[in-house]
Amino acid sequence: MAILEEPIKGVKEVKNFINGEWVDSKGKIVDVVNPATGKVMGKCPISTKEEIHAAVEAAKEAFPDWRRTTPLARSRCLFRLKELLEENFEEVSRIQTMEHGKCIDESRGETRRGIENVEVACGIPTLMQGYYSEDIASGIDEWVIPTPMGVFGIIGPFNFPFMIPLWSAPYAVATGNTIVIKPSSEVPFSQMKLVELAEEAGFPPGVWNVVNGGRTVVDGMLEHKDIVGITFVGSTPTGKDVIYKRCGETGKRVIAQCGAKNFIVIMPDCNVPATIAAMMTSFFGNAGQRCLSGANLLVVGDDDKFYKNFLDQVCDMTSKIKVGYGLDEAIQMGPVRDKDKKANILRYIESGIKEGAKLILDGRKLKIVGDYPDTCFLNPTIFENVSPNMKIGSEEIFGPVMSVMRAKNLDQAIEICNANPFGNGDAIFTQSGRDARYFQYNVESGNVGINIGVVAPVAFFPFSGMKDSFYGVLHTQGKEAVRFFTESKVVIQRWF
Amino acid sequence: MEINTCSGAISLSRELENESAKFYQELSKRFEKDQELFLAFAKENEKYIKQIERAYYGVITDALEGCFAFDLNPEDYQFKNALPKDISYPDAVAEALNMEETMLRFCQTAAEQSKHLMADVPRSFTMVAKKRSERLSKLKSLLER
Repeated sequence: MAILEEPIKGVKEVKNFINGEWVDSKGKIVDVVNPATGKVMGKCPISTKEEIHAAVEAAKEAFPDWRRTTPLARSRCLFRLKELLEENFEEVSRIQTMEHGKCIDESRGETRRGIENVEVACGIPTLMQGYYSEDIASGIDEWVIPTPMGVFGIIGPFNFPFMIPLWSAPYAVATGNTIVIKPSSEVPFSQMKLVELAEEAGFPPGVWNVVNGGRTVVDGMLEHKDIVGITFVGSTPTGKDVIYKRCGETGKRVIAQCGAKNFIVIMPDCNVPATIAAMMTSFFGNAGQRCLSGANLLVVGDDDKFYKNFLDQVCDMTSKIKVGYGLDEAIQMGPVRDKDKKANILRYIESGIKEGAKLILDGRKLKIVGDYPDTCFLNPTIFENVSPNMKIGSEEIFGPVMSVMRAKNLDQAIEICNANPFGNGDAIFTQSGRDARYFQYNVESGNVGINIGVVAPVAFFPFSGMKDSFYGVLHTQGKEAVRFFTESKVVIQRWF
Repeated sequence: MEINTCSGAISLSRELENESAKFYQELSKRFEKDQELFLAFAKENEKYIKQIERAYYGVITDALEGCFAFDLNPEDYQFKNALPKDISYPDAVAEALNMEETMLRFCQTAAEQSKHLMADVPRSFTMVAKKRSERLSKLKSLLER
């Protein structure tokens, strides 16, 4: 099978995009390394506070004109962006595989989901319509106008470098706001490509800005009085203690989508072959680096024969997962993003062993397809006899590790799920409608799957989250994003 | 190596359709009496590639089982695409029938394996399989003339 051609040759320099211009940064430059090949593929700046301020200034200046641009004209820019993204679909996808490591099917899936958000935002002329009541009192009418607010900051994570900023950006600009995006400095290239296409699509200078970097850029956004709101996707400590807290202090709107520890509940009546295929994607897709990955496999019931048979099949299929460079079409799991993340996962595996869990598939024993350095690679790991209070059973590992637990019955399973501080994406696999409804009703999770292993809402539904997985009120995507990016201006009218 | 990923299955499908199209182009040059039909088959193959790729690129999502949707061995779907120099018309059509049976089996297997996992992709394979069944009947009728 073919190894697809790399779209980035040599070492590419990343620049900031401010006020319609590509600008060199005065900040420190860091290497961007392809995690599969170990080769340096680019240089990314860690921009300065002055540079983020310049971007916010440009966005602020662009706001009044962009706000006056009609929703229909704004949506035409998005239609053109959608068309350009389709034309560049394959290049955008392969860039993600190069910068992040995910395999090509996953990258194409990410591209498609990103484009779907652009498509939904194209409907902004109707999505942002207000509403009107005649005669709220005799001769008095009242209506609401969703009004754009100004400059928004969008902070992207490393695990979905292309798609996640698109949970916010299309809605923000469609509603008449201007934006500054900060991609993860580990994976800046797909956002570079995106803004290049946004410029070609006709967004005026200053409407769509990108500033690369790290904490300095984030702090610059949080401090800046002209940033009216921030969307963030990343870890719970940063989301809760930095982003949510400081947005509160400075009066900014905020969506902070954070970490997770997702439970996949297996009922004895599930469709075993289909469930096992779903487990592979859920636990090991994106090398486990997503906030909707399955983390704990919770098998319900005291039927030891079912448990053993199910787990044997899971182990068998998991052990056959082909690990390697994601541009090889045969590969089912790529590397993790970098050696520090791998080291962190290895620490969790060691802690699982120390705490007494049974290691039944050891992903530290590497089996890589192709001749690549093992720096960022891991094979899938499975632990049995995990308890919910072990570190591997309670904390987010963000890697290809499955922790298997058992529960006596569905009530106990739900109790275990709900005792975990996170509430992002729990799922049940069953053929019983009664059990499925009972689970959906009682589980404290923002996204709930019924025979779905990765509970990722499509673009016209909010990407939800509860407890330590989400801080804010409204969510990204769809109608909730439109509400987040607009203020409700209410008009009450009487004529004498 | 067996193919498990959707990307791999789509590439295999494209490869088989292209090989099959080349075979029909060659057939059309050798047997001019049915040139139009064989060239139409070759052209249809291009359409099938587009239909399957369009379905794939339209529904591919990291949330479903794209990397685990198939279990195909490419060796099970090999066929002869070179015609011997002095092959007779009935033998050439028989080769075409063999090839179509292989392609039909490929499409049916791909559709069956991915039916719960890949949304529109299995439907496209099923549609192409149906067209291939019709093509088999047409080829058989050539031998009965």
